Amino acid sequence: MSNPHTSRRRFLAGLGATGTAALLSGCVTSTSSSKSSSSGAVSLQSNLSAPQAKAAMEDLVAAYGKKDAGRVTLNTVAAETFRTQLPTYLTSANPPDVYTWYPGSVADAYAKKDLLLGLDDLWASSPDLKRYSKALNTLCTASSGKKVFVPSTYYWWGMFYRKSNFEKWGVSEPRTWDDFLDLCDKLKSKGVAPIGLGAGGNTPWVASAWFDYLDIRINGAPYHRELLAGKHRFDDPEVRKVFDRWTELLPYFDPDGTALAFQDATTALLNGRTGMMLIGTFFADAAPKDALDDIDFFRFPVIDPKVPLAEEAPVDGYFASARTGRAERVTELMGYLATAQAQEIYIKGSSGTVLPCNPDAKDAGTALVKKGRAHIDEAVEITQFFNRDSSDALQPTADTALTKFIAKPKSIGSILTDWQRDAQKIWSA
Amino acid sequence: MAVLTPARPAPAVTPARGRGRGPVRRVPPLVLAFVLVPLLAEAVWVFWPALQGFYLALTSWDGVSPPRFIGLGNFREMAGDEVFRTAAIDTVLWLVLFGGLSALLGLATALLLQQERRGVGFYRAALFLPVVFSLVATALVWQAIYQPDGVLNQLLDAVGLESLRHAWLADQDTALYAVIVPALWRQIGYVMVLYLAGLKGIDPALYEAAKVDGASAWQRLRHVTLPQLRSVNAVVLSVIVIDSLRSFDVVWSLTRGGPYHSSELLSTYMYSTAFQSLRLGYGSALAVVIFVLAFGVICSYLVRAFREAD
Repeated sequence: MSNPHTSRRRFLAGLGATGTAALLSGCVTSTSSSKSSSSGAVSLQSNLSAPQAKAAMEDLVAAYGKKDAGRVTLNTVAAETFRTQLPTYLTSANPPDVYTWYPGSVADAYAKKDLLLGLDDLWASSPDLKRYSKALNTLCTASSGKKVFVPSTYYWWGMFYRKSNFEKWGVSEPRTWDDFLDLCDKLKSKGVAPIGLGAGGNTPWVASAWFDYLDIRINGAPYHRELLAGKHRFDDPEVRKVFDRWTELLPYFDPDGTALAFQDATTALLNGRTGMMLIGTFFADAAPKDALDDIDFFRFPVIDPKVPLAEEAPVDGYFASARTGRAERVTELMGYLATAQAQEIYIKGSSGTVLPCNPDAKDAGTALVKKGRAHIDEAVEITQFFNRDSSDALQPTADTALTKFIAKPKSIGSILTDWQRDAQKIWSA
Repeated sequence: MAVLTPARPAPAVTPARGRGRGPVRRVPPLVLAFVLVPLLAEAVWVFWPALQGFYLALTSWDGVSPPRFIGLGNFREMAGDEVFRTAAIDTVLWLVLFGGLSALLGLATALLLQQERRGVGFYRAALFLPVVFSLVATALVWQAIYQPDGVLNQLLDAVGLESLRHAWLADQDTALYAVIVPALWRQIGYVMVLYLAGLKGIDPALYEAAKVDGASAWQRLRHVTLPQLRSVNAVVLSVIVIDSLRSFDVVWSLTRGGPYHSSELLSTYMYSTAFQSLRLGYGSALAVVIFVLAFGVICSYLVRAFREAD
């Protein structure tokens, strides 16, 4: 029998120890350089929480587990929680090892703070990564010149529509800006809201796609990237031109555009209440399987033919914590994630509307995906998306400015002044 | 030894120790532990983070780099921040509408349902039921109601009021009020229960005496019920002020403070500044303001209430 005094003392001592540990870990602002334990499985923190994507990640981890390389534990976190927690993960004393996330300016921001594991050796030794395109190579390189990212898949944005609806309405894909306006007129005359948006609910960021595309069509991709990096002002005349052109289109937008989240806007598109929608292929996750064959897209119309053709094609992939204690096994896992086999497993398990980054990997092979691949290949410039070319911190400023513009286009002057003021706070933080 | 003891003068310091007259008793270690351990836990999980919050309010911090001390810079920025002003005004509006209406309607339903009649338990349970649901789940249901094709607009169509159709959550003129309704729907039942408990505590003899004196129902309410509920009012007010200032989940789930800050409360502005814009120093400064407001309002009311009681 245990002595009650001893157990009470132990209990109190245990509580004291817990309290002390919590006190130490409660120092949220302190930095620690301690590494996570080198033993145990490599932890993979994933934000791919949509059912199909999550299942595909589980397939991927299971396939890796069958190799000799060792175990990986997958921890799927809701996308919004993942995003807000990422700085905490990376700065904690015992962080998860590998993360799903974005390359480019997003990864570079963490790399500048020495939070990401350097992957130069992996890029130099992996036969797969050696064959990746130059564009991907650059995208995965931090401003210090160090490789910090392994890309896995990418997708494209376009004007999506339902083929059967276009046939029913007797309209076809436009080639030029004037064709596009004609198409909008025709659809409106048939009682259909020509352009669905999906910037309501929790997805106001979808409106940024319109800003991105109009800017890269009018001012070009280099200007757009510089603008999002704080090298130009949002109240510059160049940006004003974007909104002048957008104002022409506003009468064709679905009046419920800022009231419906993109998932609901997808339903409106499939039901023929709206004619088309500027969206990324991820919207297919919200579409019923039987409707997928009926979905098609066309390129966002060219406005100024002199501006080199650019498309939004966000890349997804992985980076790892600089504080991992399992650098060797982490690098092995990331090498595997770069292989054609790994990317095919993911594509097979997911909705299949993404393209693999590995040039040897097969895509889903559907007509839509083939068209998507050609769409990206024809582009001279590739952009990621508003938050990926700038930062997650800047995205809320765009959400406010753009939804306000859609509701009150005549206030564009003050909207742009406010946007610049809000953005300045982020850049100077 | 016993013989020598009376001959010696008693030492000046020690005599009371251990005798019946001495008030200082040794506290048993177990009792001490039961006080100190919770205090330590409280200190670690409440006081320390709160103190850190106060410190962070004086810094510029992105959550990744070490915080940079900037003194009162965040508070100076707040003075010229239009969104902060909007959020503060909305919070006051929320306090008045959400707080005022939930107190009034909670009291009204309590008065209505205080009498033990057949079926009254069902109504009490029905009114209390929304308290049980999570506010996020509540918000999802109300989101469906407020959708452009949702129940509310369909209802307006059905009764021939198509002109009142609205994108309730996407229109800056209606968003804040649309969000208050589900919050009220949930809060009324809670306030009702507090008042019901208060009403049960009133001595029936007071009503008897008032009746004998010929007081009308209104006079009984005005001169008996309401003064007797004074202590419950203090609790209700504290609950309402705290709930108003920490109202977050329902607003965040329905509008995220939008469209373009029209339903922004101090709490949602604090969250979006800290965790979306990653300006944790400024977010902490907003949290300090919320704390000061809640503490100030409640303290000033309690001080007044105690003074009146004296």
